[in-house]
Amino acid sequence: MKEQDKPFVFRGKYLLLIVLIFYGLLFIGNSQAAQLALQKSGKTLVNIVPILLMVILLTSLLNFFLQPQQVARHLGEESGGKGWFWALAAGVISHGPMYIWYPLLEDLRSHGMKDAFIVVFFASRTIKIPLLPMMIDYFGLAFTIVLSFYLLVGALIQGLILEILQPQNGN
Amino acid sequence: MNKEQNKRSPQKPTFRKVLQKSALSFLAISPLLLGIIGLVGLFQVLVTPKMLATLFRGNGVIDTLIGTLAGATAAGNPVVSYLLGGELLNQGISLYAVSAFVISWVTLGLSHLPAEVEVFGGRFTLYRNILAFVFTMLIATLTTLTVQVLT
Repeated sequence: MKEQDKPFVFRGKYLLLIVLIFYGLLFIGNSQAAQLALQKSGKTLVNIVPILLMVILLTSLLNFFLQPQQVARHLGEESGGKGWFWALAAGVISHGPMYIWYPLLEDLRSHGMKDAFIVVFFASRTIKIPLLPMMIDYFGLAFTIVLSFYLLVGALIQGLILEILQPQNGN
Repeated sequence: MNKEQNKRSPQKPTFRKVLQKSALSFLAISPLLLGIIGLVGLFQVLVTPKMLATLFRGNGVIDTLIGTLAGATAAGNPVVSYLLGGELLNQGISLYAVSAFVISWVTLGLSHLPAEVEVFGGRFTLYRNILAFVFTMLIATLTTLTVQVLT
């Protein structure tokens, strides 16, 4: 792992400030809705804490065992079909909301991961293995199989299109 | 030997140090995460499932577009999109629209956009979201057509 020694800076302060202002205005206009929104946000936060801890651990393990050169080899320009497979598989098995994975992906990207693989990862996340039985129950087996197939193919095509749109890794 | 050790030691930090660094990078991003979580809460309350259901017009093409936009605006667990999608089907909304709604619920997120721009940059976010938007409609259409042929 390459030591980057980036200075510690809080990110998203302005977004948080704007959201807090929204809450403030909502409290003035409709305090019941604001309280409910706050409750729902609190519930989301509680739900994502275990996933967040898992992602921190996963990030640490990847950083500990993989050198940046290895990340580049497995997920970079020279990774070949293997990289596409890993991006697809990681997207399918990843849990929790999309934004939880931003820091890990940013880290891998700074070590040489291709942007196309980030697109593949996000696109393939629509397939949620634990939720497949529920999807079958609501929409049927044929729908679930066909949708999953197109989602996987579509994820790969989106990655390939991004490579055409953005030939150099635009970090 | 000593020289070699000195050469290696700064390259291989302890796991504790790596864990600490990862925790710090997540701490640095915590205002961003809290901002999105706050936005998700606001969207869940202000953009209700009932409101989304009233948007559909009964026209296959327009409803697919509405389904994509509605899914992108909504926030929360994907299970909710299945429940709501099932309800919409029962109300006679086309499978094209419902498929688009279920897909865009996960791949597109209006409330995540500010964070995505901050982390990955504007150009990447723009490309990714345009691709996700187009492919949501394409996959919804192809899935429905294929299911209709198969059944």
